[in-house]
Amino acid sequence: MAGEKIDIETIKAMLNLTDEDLVKPLPIPTQWSQPFWDAAKEHRFVLKKCSKCGNVDHPPYLYCTACSADEHEWVEAAGRGTLSAYAINIFGVPFPFWVDLPYVVAVVELPEGVRMISNVVECDHEKLENGMELEVVFDDVTDEVTLPRWRPVDESRRG
Amino acid sequence: MGEAEFAVIGTGEVPTGNYPERSEFEIAYTVARTAIQDAGIDKDEVGAVLCAQHIMSNPDNDYNTEMVFGRLPEAIGAKGCKVTCMTSSGGASSYSIRKTAEGILRSGETDTVLVVHAQRFSQFSANEQAKYFSIAGCDVEWEYPYGMTYNSLAAMITQAYMTYTGTTIQQIAAVCVACRKWAMLQPNAMFNNKEITIDKVVNARMVSYPLTTLMCNVLGDGGSAFVMTTAEKARKVCDRPVYFLGEGSDYSHRTITRANMMDFNQLTAFLGPIANEAYEKSGLGPQDMDIFEIYGSYPTINLMVFDSLGVTEPGKAGELVEAGETSPGGKYPCSTNGEAMSFGHTGTGCGFAILVETVRQLQGKAGAAQVPGARFAIENCGGGAFMDCHFTVMGSEVP
Repeated sequence: MAGEKIDIETIKAMLNLTDEDLVKPLPIPTQWSQPFWDAAKEHRFVLKKCSKCGNVDHPPYLYCTACSADEHEWVEAAGRGTLSAYAINIFGVPFPFWVDLPYVVAVVELPEGVRMISNVVECDHEKLENGMELEVVFDDVTDEVTLPRWRPVDESRRG
Repeated sequence: MGEAEFAVIGTGEVPTGNYPERSEFEIAYTVARTAIQDAGIDKDEVGAVLCAQHIMSNPDNDYNTEMVFGRLPEAIGAKGCKVTCMTSSGGASSYSIRKTAEGILRSGETDTVLVVHAQRFSQFSANEQAKYFSIAGCDVEWEYPYGMTYNSLAAMITQAYMTYTGTTIQQIAAVCVACRKWAMLQPNAMFNNKEITIDKVVNARMVSYPLTTLMCNVLGDGGSAFVMTTAEKARKVCDRPVYFLGEGSDYSHRTITRANMMDFNQLTAFLGPIANEAYEKSGLGPQDMDIFEIYGSYPTINLMVFDSLGVTEPGKAGELVEAGETSPGGKYPCSTNGEAMSFGHTGTGCGFAILVETVRQLQGKAGAAQVPGARFAIENCGGGAFMDCHFTVMGSEVP
């Protein structure tokens, strides 16, 4: 599955990329998503829950997507999930991600009834399997931003 | 029984590919003239000129601003034009712009509408294109920071679809082979001079497992146009108009994690009812269709849509494709212009290209790709990160 690797320095020279072109994009929080990222920074995984109807929204929006109410709370989520689909990026990703190749992007299904796109890390790619159990890990990518990612619960699947 | 309110009476198209010297304005003016000439009407009969959005803009000479500000009617000398506007819903633009055209026709303002799409990607650098498309397909806050791309989205769907349905990677590759066979018969297709095999597709460079380069669509410059009229006028001025006989639509999501049918083995449960609505409104069924014009953009999406058309049991489309049934000469001709994989991906234009090809086929003007005696077809498009789906049954006669 691997294929020959092209060094990012080669691409940089070939396409005249600047250092700025290689800076990884970070989430730009909105006023209604800020609490999620604030909690992640403290290594807590939270979700937005409507105080009126109990609906959990992810991604969160300005008001509840089920009943349109403003009232809400941020609840601690289990930090567990299952893998419902995945891809292994090998080639042709945006240049800032070139250094990470190969990496896994996945749909993680949470017991709270929502899903998220994230990476499965610390994992043997040969042992990825739909339905496998995952747990959240926190990656402090900068001093300001922490990305929740996921790893297999089963240690024999870790790589 | 059936009734049709609107019809297409003429089309125009330019070759898809890398043509940096051919401006998007030149494309728009060219396809507009071709479509009007093909329709056999005078340009002054055109009472409304509608354009689709150009993906990415050139700030020095922005096509979108020019078209929004009425450049096209002036440039083509459409003296009878009363209304002009731009409409976009990504890959579903051919449908939303058609509904806009129908509204204008139904209002009685005019009985003739020209619809135009033009795209030139090659004016932008590889880095600019890569940036645009990595962001366009996903959520910038919740997905892009994880290195998500359009290709990985399609790869995930493919991975799950294969797991749940037992479809093999060879069957996924067979869609690309079938698309290439059709494109070989299309003078305007981007890839029309080299056959590919299942082995070649499977063994091409891996991009996002399980998708190889030959399973991913390729961006190209291109454009097309069509002339829409009331069915009443169409009968008077055109020997073989193509009527809209019935349609179905549904919207699902922006962010893929919020899709109505997130279990990818259940996508047919989302798509099937939309196709059924189109069939029911037309009074026809899958057994009446001579052609299945699907805009999937990736081979797996093409299979999922085909699964929903009432031809095969859901999850079994890959077997039919592998057996050659959707290829030229097959029982279920499918995506006869070669689709995004081989015709080329022209941004908001993929759906236009499929619609224009459907019209050509039903008018008997499809040249080497002509499906003999084609009278009825079901056409499909959708946009965004598979945000919506539209099916339309079209026919050269009203049943």
